[in-house]
Amino acid sequence: MKSNLDIIAFAICEKEGYEFIDFVGGGTFKETFHIVMDGCSYALKVFRNGYSPKRTERELEAMIKCDHPNIGKLIFVSNFIHDDQEYLYTVEEYLAGGTLTKKLENGCLSIDEVLTIGKGLIEAVSHIAGQNLVHRDIKPDNILFRENGTTPVIVDFGLVRNLTDESLTQTWLAQGPGSPYFASPEQLNNQKELIDWRTDQFAVGIVLSICCFGIHPYSNKGDNPSDVVIRVAHREPLNQDFVARANEIGLNSLIKMVSQWPIGRFRTPEELVKSWPL
Amino acid sequence: MAVYHQMGHHSENLLWDSRLSLYSGAILSPVNYSEADIISQVEHASRQGNFEMIFDPQLYYPRSDRGLLTSWSYFPNDVDTTDLGSEKWWCNVIDNVIDTCQRINPTAACSPALAPNVFNTEYFSMITRLGNYFVESLESSGINPIQTLVCGLSYLSQSDKAAEIASIISRTKAETIYLIFISDIAPRRELNNTEEIKGAMRLISALESAGLSVIVGFSSSDLILWKAAGATACATGKFFNLRRFTSSRFEEPSEGGGQLPYWFEEALLAFLRESDVLRVRKAGLLSEASMANPFGIEILNQLDNCPGQAWLALGWRQYLYAFADIEKRIEENALDVNELLINAERLWLLLEDKAVLMEEMRNNGEWVRIWRRAMVEFK
Repeated sequence: MKSNLDIIAFAICEKEGYEFIDFVGGGTFKETFHIVMDGCSYALKVFRNGYSPKRTERELEAMIKCDHPNIGKLIFVSNFIHDDQEYLYTVEEYLAGGTLTKKLENGCLSIDEVLTIGKGLIEAVSHIAGQNLVHRDIKPDNILFRENGTTPVIVDFGLVRNLTDESLTQTWLAQGPGSPYFASPEQLNNQKELIDWRTDQFAVGIVLSICCFGIHPYSNKGDNPSDVVIRVAHREPLNQDFVARANEIGLNSLIKMVSQWPIGRFRTPEELVKSWPL
Repeated sequence: MAVYHQMGHHSENLLWDSRLSLYSGAILSPVNYSEADIISQVEHASRQGNFEMIFDPQLYYPRSDRGLLTSWSYFPNDVDTTDLGSEKWWCNVIDNVIDTCQRINPTAACSPALAPNVFNTEYFSMITRLGNYFVESLESSGINPIQTLVCGLSYLSQSDKAAEIASIISRTKAETIYLIFISDIAPRRELNNTEEIKGAMRLISALESAGLSVIVGFSSSDLILWKAAGATACATGKFFNLRRFTSSRFEEPSEGGGQLPYWFEEALLAFLRESDVLRVRKAGLLSEASMANPFGIEILNQLDNCPGQAWLALGWRQYLYAFADIEKRIEENALDVNELLINAERLWLLLEDKAVLMEEMRNNGEWVRIWRRAMVEFK
């Protein structure tokens, strides 16, 4: 991927005395750069012109509220003016261990790795739930690792929902937000009254199932990703091979985590934490 | 694991009848009693040892079914003009209910909830949020908070509604749900819609599977269905041998004309009038449980020895005893609900074959097949 905001990132670094290292990646609303500040690595995130201010405000508020070793840390937020244009940027901790997507390029993970990653993700989701927030976009791209390569960190709170806020539906897509392949039925069907922390629990369950078995728990032989999304949206039964394999290795928590309805999942974060075998 | 007395008009004398000692508590009724009455009931209960007193603020129909409710300090003066969908207004009501609870000091209290005209997910979300506000407000009061869930049976008959409602209400911070089914079924008639019953059973089962205890309020002979679905407890009152949770449920039984006494017959899962009790007895079909019911024995003795003497009060007790006894036997695995239903169906057919016809035309056991189907299909 090519950067469009590298000139701005360079200019910020020049003005503030940071060392620019590299372009890391970009999304619809922002680009991320690796910089060094006072001898330590950080992630500089520059928001594009026309970024969604409401969404960004929610994202930053959520990151400020969360303080957990398995959740990306926001260091500060600032503005930068370049050619009469104002750019919002954040400096966040730099996670050198790469994404889970990258890790999965080499195939499934070992059970021990899944247990460790699962523990970190479950603790992160529990912490997010404790702040009355729902991340709504947990997927391998949004799971990074610390330098040790084993501590997972959830990033990108761009779709976060604060459950105490009034309706946010006006910002939703017809299908509801989130990456469909990892999204829960309630997200895919835009059943906003059903969305709560168990929506994140579902996504973590899907991610961990893929780490473990390389298959989506709702996929059938020959399915393409959009078939799987339709199966989830229709609340079809789980793939019985997935169920058998999860039981076989003693990870039956995964089966409960990816239940079709929130009532079938772990009701409280404490129950989920307790169920995880590590 | 428990049965509760659903308090109604002049019900307090039933609480302390030693032969009804299987009841582990009572659900208090501010519609039928003043604050002073309920304080006195709670004080009396506290001297009886381990007897739970659960306060239900009964604000289901605050604009119509009031009874003594208006005498309670939490009853809002502006109820006829306010927007009953306003959470802020309900939070205010909850604050006042909490003050009342602190004065009457029950063992537990149910969160206030309205019975809406239309059920939808927004409604269930709202009662859950209000319930959680209620739970937080009762913290460190020593009073156990209970989340009230009012749900229309016809709404539950729609596909997936049970899972949807359970998903929302399970956000409660309480550990117990007080579940009230609203139905438009006529008084004296058993539930007779398979889809409604299946939805209700699925809701109970889903909540219990999620670790919540469900108390089904205002139950009747349908207790067997709720227990089969896994309900922790059921509540009934003396009038619930005849009546349902409908908007007219608070109306007192008509004066003057007198009420007819009923006998609850476990073998038929039916309420029988006096002449029908005699018919069924003559056919040799009264159940062993009915013959062992101490109030049943009294009624039969009275019918034999003092025919014509009123037995309404004994009929209430016969029913209340049977209700608690059935619950206990189901809990102890001494009674299998499926077998109970199969047997009841067989006996109704036998009665039909023998041309033993009940005095009430609709008392024909037709609901037994509907209940059996619900039992088979709800899972």
